[in-house]
Amino acid sequence: MNRISIDPITRLEGHGKIDIFLNEEGDVANAYFQVPELRGFERFCVGRQAEEMPVITNRICGVCPEAHHMAATKALDALFAADPPPAAKKLRELFYSAFYVTDHTTHFYALGGPDFIMGPDAPPGERNILGVIRKVGLDIGRQVIECRARNHHVIKTVGGRSIHPVAGLPGGWSRPITESERDEIVGIAQKNIDFALFTLQVFEDLVLKNQAYVDLITADTYTHKTYYMGLVDGQNRVNFYDGTVRVVGPDGDERVRYPAKDYASHIAERVEPWTYLKYPYLKDVGWKGFVDGPESGVYAASPLSRLNVSDCMATPRAQEQYELFYETLGSGKVNGRYKPVHYRLATHWARLVELLYAAERMLELANDPEITSPDLRTVPGAVIGCGIGCVEAPRGTLTHHYEADERGVLTRVNMIVGTTNNYAPMTMSIKKAAQQIITKGKVVEEGMLNRIEMAFRLYDPCLSCATHAAVGRMPLSVNIRDLSGEIIRTVSRG
Amino acid sequence: MRTIVVGLGNPILSDDSVGIKVAALVKQAIPENAGVDVVEAYAGGLRLMEAIAGYERAIIVDAMKTGLHKPGTVQMLSLESLTKTRNTLCTHDGDLSTALALGSDLGLALPGLVEIMGIEADDVESFSEELSSGVSMALPLAVADILCRCGIFESEYTID
Repeated sequence: MNRISIDPITRLEGHGKIDIFLNEEGDVANAYFQVPELRGFERFCVGRQAEEMPVITNRICGVCPEAHHMAATKALDALFAADPPPAAKKLRELFYSAFYVTDHTTHFYALGGPDFIMGPDAPPGERNILGVIRKVGLDIGRQVIECRARNHHVIKTVGGRSIHPVAGLPGGWSRPITESERDEIVGIAQKNIDFALFTLQVFEDLVLKNQAYVDLITADTYTHKTYYMGLVDGQNRVNFYDGTVRVVGPDGDERVRYPAKDYASHIAERVEPWTYLKYPYLKDVGWKGFVDGPESGVYAASPLSRLNVSDCMATPRAQEQYELFYETLGSGKVNGRYKPVHYRLATHWARLVELLYAAERMLELANDPEITSPDLRTVPGAVIGCGIGCVEAPRGTLTHHYEADERGVLTRVNMIVGTTNNYAPMTMSIKKAAQQIITKGKVVEEGMLNRIEMAFRLYDPCLSCATHAAVGRMPLSVNIRDLSGEIIRTVSRG
Repeated sequence: MRTIVVGLGNPILSDDSVGIKVAALVKQAIPENAGVDVVEAYAGGLRLMEAIAGYERAIIVDAMKTGLHKPGTVQMLSLESLTKTRNTLCTHDGDLSTALALGSDLGLALPGLVEIMGIEADDVESFSEELSSGVSMALPLAVADILCRCGIFESEYTID
């Protein structure tokens, strides 16, 4: 159990392993979430030209290569001190919005939605996208696939290649779009808006109108009062591509706001001896363990967090949904801002509000007169030694930090990926879920894995596209250990 | 038969890249107009299903880590045993079997024949662009077998 050493990227992939420790009474004392280590990403990058990073880092993860591509490109802007022209920034954000639409859509229909649409206790064989489609209709399945296809087309058109984009350059973007491509993207963005509104309606009809699900969302089991983090623009509105990092406390008051390049002054990482993971926390609040409350530096960075840190949404229909979200979940306004919603299962709803925002933002950008400008590059001058880039990945704030010598050869790489931000809250959510399932040494086995999975699935953790074994769900094993650490029970799948 | 060969894997994770390397070699050896397309992919759920839709036949090459065979061992797997390879599942959207069932429900034109080649890996957790030696020795066999399946040349021997 003496695992400490962690490379910057050791926390990205692998399959989940959870250890649950019982106390003398047989109740849950602690629950630990472990992810296997991947070795040597930093060593792999050091010595390479920094310009390679947007295409190398997008290979880290098969789920959100676009987010790594964008954070890396922004880190290079900083490293080469080359601020891109406005058209390049807009084109990047257009690309990024298309990515958000497809990513959030997929999560809802394939992963998050099944818990609600099929119900948390449905057999695993039905609790997937197939079950959803069979329940709500084939036409929705077609719409999901069409939504993915048209947005992958935009990603390829704007990003230069599908899946692993290549268009990001220090100080700009390599590929302009034509007027006819713009017209096509406008049409796609309009379809995305319709689809997002439709999806929100599905959520309302199937989840919000079902009291049992509303009770589940607002249950104490899935509630944590932590700090929240997310990027906001100059008017404190949610922004995925750029802005300043804002952190609010459990009461909603702003605790700190900083430019992404200052992350190391505000975020520290806790090392625990029993896991490879490092747990980021707010430096000035301090580490108090895996606990809620204003005294604990634990924060979350997720769709729910982004809504909680912002004052409003930047597009009109998303704003309507944002208000509906807070009003429905009983959050009142104080000083013109809604108080945070702490129900973690509401993250699924927050994700759909963001889906609508991404679609509306995509339309705004596609209609922008400047979007077809060929003026997409500020030619870099000298390397300034250090570059930090930050975006909101769908799973949370993503930060790339590179240091390079005067030739642009990398000497150091560090990353805090979206999922990493949420390790502490995920651990807490898993523990709380486990406490409901195990009492006095008795284990409720029915639906156990799913109840625990629901606790971390809502964060959409990016643990793996390269898992070692697979049976259609994330391979997961849960060990239940007694006071002395002996395993008394193992439940696994995969 | 319109065929697609898909190399699955991560090019920077040591032996996990073996599927991609096999696909690259197959691509070099396939004549134009042979009716065979070759692509690489990383994620295995919906994206893989979407990649093979529209073809009559798909040959998928991926690393596997069973621990039961020597690194470099090449095996053909059934769709049902797909779970033995590393990349046919995407935790973000599900596994290939589910994705194929979805595509079928939706009436997409999916391949009638899906063949999966698994190559036993040694190291899939270190960042490197190189294969370990045992796995690199599997490349000629794997490439030749796929070319044979595509009818590019004939051989008495094929992998079971």
